[in-house]
Amino acid sequence: MTALPVAGLAHVPGTALPEGTFTISRLENDQLADVLGQSPYLDAGHVHPLWAYIATQRGIGVGIAELCAIADFDVNDGPMLGSVDIEYSGRLQVDVQYRVVGEVVGIERKSGRRVGTFDVLTYRERLLAPDNSEVATVTNSFILPRRDR
Amino acid sequence: MTSLTVGSRLGPWMLAAVRAEQMRVLADLLDDPNQIHLDPELVRSLGMGDRVINQGPANLGYILNMLTIAARDFELERIHVRFVRNVFADDAVTADGHVDDVDRDRVHCTVWLDVGDAERAVEGTATLRRQLG
Repeated sequence: MTALPVAGLAHVPGTALPEGTFTISRLENDQLADVLGQSPYLDAGHVHPLWAYIATQRGIGVGIAELCAIADFDVNDGPMLGSVDIEYSGRLQVDVQYRVVGEVVGIERKSGRRVGTFDVLTYRERLLAPDNSEVATVTNSFILPRRDR
Repeated sequence: MTSLTVGSRLGPWMLAAVRAEQMRVLADLLDDPNQIHLDPELVRSLGMGDRVINQGPANLGYILNMLTIAARDFELERIHVRFVRNVFADDAVTADGHVDDVDRDRVHCTVWLDVGDAERAVEGTATLRRQLG
C-alpha cells in the first residue's frame, strides 16, 4: 500500500492543537470501568489505563469534529480509529487537573480494497501533571475514508 | 506475585456481548459525536454493516482490562495497537495475549482482541514494567 502526500493539505503536519486541561472524575472513572466490564476485584482507586487516551482526547482544545475539519473531513462521513500508541510515564490519578498539549504529526493518502481511498491523519498529544512532568504520550491515527476521491 | 515468563498466556478476558447501550455511555465519556456508534441507519447508509459499531478505544479498553488482571504486579509502560476490523453491537469479544520476551524488569507482549471464534479485531504489542517496592 503506497502512501502519498495529500494535495491541498501539505500545511497540516506540524499544526499545533489548542492546549487544554482535563480532570478524571471518580464518577466517570467508575462509569468507564462499568461499561468496559472491568473486573470488580481491582483495587479501589484504580484508574483505568484507557484514561490516558480519553483524557488527552477530551482535554485537548479541539473535539473530534474539529480535528477532522483540520484535515478537511466531515465527522459525519465516518472517521475510524486506525491505531493508538500510548506511552505511560507517570501514574494516572483522579481529581488531578492535567494539561494537554498536542500537534498533528502527518497526513497521508492511501487506498485499500475494503475502504477504497482514505487518508491517515496522525496526531500526538501529551498529558502533563501540574508540575509539568509527563504522565502519558498518546499518538493516534484516524482513517478518513475519501469516498468522493 | 505474578510470574510472567516467555510464552506465558495473559488471557483470556471475555465479554459475551458488546451492548449498544454501553456505546451511548462511551460516546459521552469519549465526547465522541460519531453517529456510527449510535445510529444503525447511518451505518447501513455508509455500507459499513447493519449494527452500530463499537468505539475503537473501547476495544483497546478490553485489552487493557486483560493486561491489568494478568499482570497485577506490573505497570503498563507502553501499548501500541492497530484496529483491523470493526466490532459491532452484540458481538462477543475475547482479549488475549502472550509474553514474547522478558528483559530484566520489563516484559514484552503480543496482545489482541478477537470477535467470535477467532476473527482478529485489534492487534498490537505491550510493554510491562515490574512495580518497584
